[in-house]
Amino acid sequence: MDAREEGVRACNKEAIKSCFDSEKGLLDRRIFVDQDLYDLEMKNIFARAWNFMCHESQIPEIGDYFINYIGEDQVIIVRDKSGEVQVLLNSCRHRGNALCRAEQGNAKSFVCSYHGWHFALDGELIGVPGMSPFYRKDFDKSQWGLVKAAQVDNFHGFYFATLDPDAPSLPDYLGDVGRTGLAMIASRGDVEVVDGIQKNTIDCNWKIAVDNLFDWYHVAYSHASAGEAGVLDLAAVTQANDQMVMLGEYGHAISGPAIKQEMQDEIVGMSDDERKQWNKEEAARSNGRVTRALRMKAAEEMMGPAGARSIGHPNIFPNLWIATGGSQLCLRLPRGPQMTELWWFTVLPKDQTPEERRMTVRFNSHLFGPAGLLEQDDGENWSQSTRAARGVVGGSYPHNLSMALGHDEVKEDPSGQKWIETRINEHGQRWTYQAWMDWMAADSWADLKANHTPVPTGRV
Amino acid sequence: MGLAAEKTAAGGVAALSLDERMTLQFEIEQFLYGEAALLDARQYREWLDLLTDDILYWMPIRRTVTLADIDREFTRRGAMAYFDDDREGLETRVRKMESGSSWSEDPPSRTRHMITNVRVLDASDDEYTVEVFFHLYRSRLDTEVSSWVGRRVDVVRRTGEGLKLAKRDIYLDQTLIRATNMSTLF
Repeated sequence: MDAREEGVRACNKEAIKSCFDSEKGLLDRRIFVDQDLYDLEMKNIFARAWNFMCHESQIPEIGDYFINYIGEDQVIIVRDKSGEVQVLLNSCRHRGNALCRAEQGNAKSFVCSYHGWHFALDGELIGVPGMSPFYRKDFDKSQWGLVKAAQVDNFHGFYFATLDPDAPSLPDYLGDVGRTGLAMIASRGDVEVVDGIQKNTIDCNWKIAVDNLFDWYHVAYSHASAGEAGVLDLAAVTQANDQMVMLGEYGHAISGPAIKQEMQDEIVGMSDDERKQWNKEEAARSNGRVTRALRMKAAEEMMGPAGARSIGHPNIFPNLWIATGGSQLCLRLPRGPQMTELWWFTVLPKDQTPEERRMTVRFNSHLFGPAGLLEQDDGENWSQSTRAARGVVGGSYPHNLSMALGHDEVKEDPSGQKWIETRINEHGQRWTYQAWMDWMAADSWADLKANHTPVPTGRV
Repeated sequence: MGLAAEKTAAGGVAALSLDERMTLQFEIEQFLYGEAALLDARQYREWLDLLTDDILYWMPIRRTVTLADIDREFTRRGAMAYFDDDREGLETRVRKMESGSSWSEDPPSRTRHMITNVRVLDASDDEYTVEVFFHLYRSRLDTEVSSWVGRRVDVVRRTGEGLKLAKRDIYLDQTLIRATNMSTLF
């Protein structure tokens, strides 16, 4: 074991900062399989970040709950008696047992199946069997309520939580790029999650799944069969030469195809009614295939002048992908260094006609999820890449993320939005691993705020 | 919904004599075994020939829920699903597998469809509603093993070209799908 490898294993700061060589675009593969680094990720990334929980439409009534995770901590997202959304650790304070065994549902309160401790929807401990005969009334219930997330907030109905009281507010955490990315899904009017979260496990490291969402290079080859089968026009979808990248503070990024400025200039002049008419005609022309619809004016305002042109893939650091043209979210939940759960949420406008709803739901289930014609071919690429990193020699060779490094320019418009206009590239992946190092090497939010890599300007 | 077990055969089946029921049972079992064998042999074109043009092929999402919420265990039609295919959807899946670049099935999975507990639940003039339990075993590459057990409700239709599958509802006995993908057909 060389000194650097030893340092990485010991999660030594300097060694962590050497995992990704941003000047060459070379990444140490061992970050995909090392258990110590994984444990540090749980602490320094997931327990610190704002994690996506659910959409308000999933828990409309008092007592409605949905189970999700912050790292390996399972949490209950529940609407309490006052209508507030609570994020509670799904773990009885007595012996740690899970209170909720179901994935979702409605509850009046939470009762532990072990000894019957009884918690209100806001986490307060309201009942302990045997208080008088066994505890001799020598027990202060008020001190043993469920552990709550340090902060809970929502962005247009999309709920996030962080376990770190020192984390910045959600809007500050998201920054321009995070908000622009979320706007792709949140700016589509009054939306709801369609019933049914697709969930499956892949034997891969969560970061490989995340970096793939920026990877428009793999589409033509990995998904050639979906193109050939006529699922969608891969060339039109990937637009190899019209790509836009936005890199945001703390690791958020958007990468993928963009509407050309000339076309956007025309769109900007159109009223919402004209856009709707255009979308209707385009849908008719497409002969049933789903096409990219023009966004409404309100969406453009939320996304800013540059962001409004992006039709790419945002990732809210660390693990929330806004996918499928802003109609789906995919969470990549870590389950140990070599296992990831993929959760697909489908989010659609409430005012869709039944025909539109039918078409989108079918299209989405046809493309993504474990049986999806696109996604079927992704998992094995990721699991085999992860597996190779286990080898003594295989793990010692770096991942190559050098595409287009040093060939592009960050533009900035008067509003302050920064973007890169380019061809297929690996800027998004490099930015993700740069951010990963910043987060992993920081001791606290104060340290991360002070020492994270600033959003690049100039040559990238 | 998905779980409600039918205790006895209903509808047109009850009116049949024992001999007629045994003949029908044999005929339907042989049809389903043959169909399963085509999938395991990757003879997808021949498999498509056994489907009606109006086939609906559906696998809802199952959730772990409490008994109090049990009526919401499966997603309903029109909500999200793992499979929600019409004939064109299934033909697309076959075209994908035939494309020469369908990496999730090249090298191919080794599958075995075990079909059991076949019961004809209902019969009309030309259609039979059939419940089967299945075990789809899949082994991929060297280490990936998937074992999908569940209940299917098939509608088998008698046509001029023999029996055909007109509908398949697939109710899996797992919630989180513990597999890299579902690149096989059920």
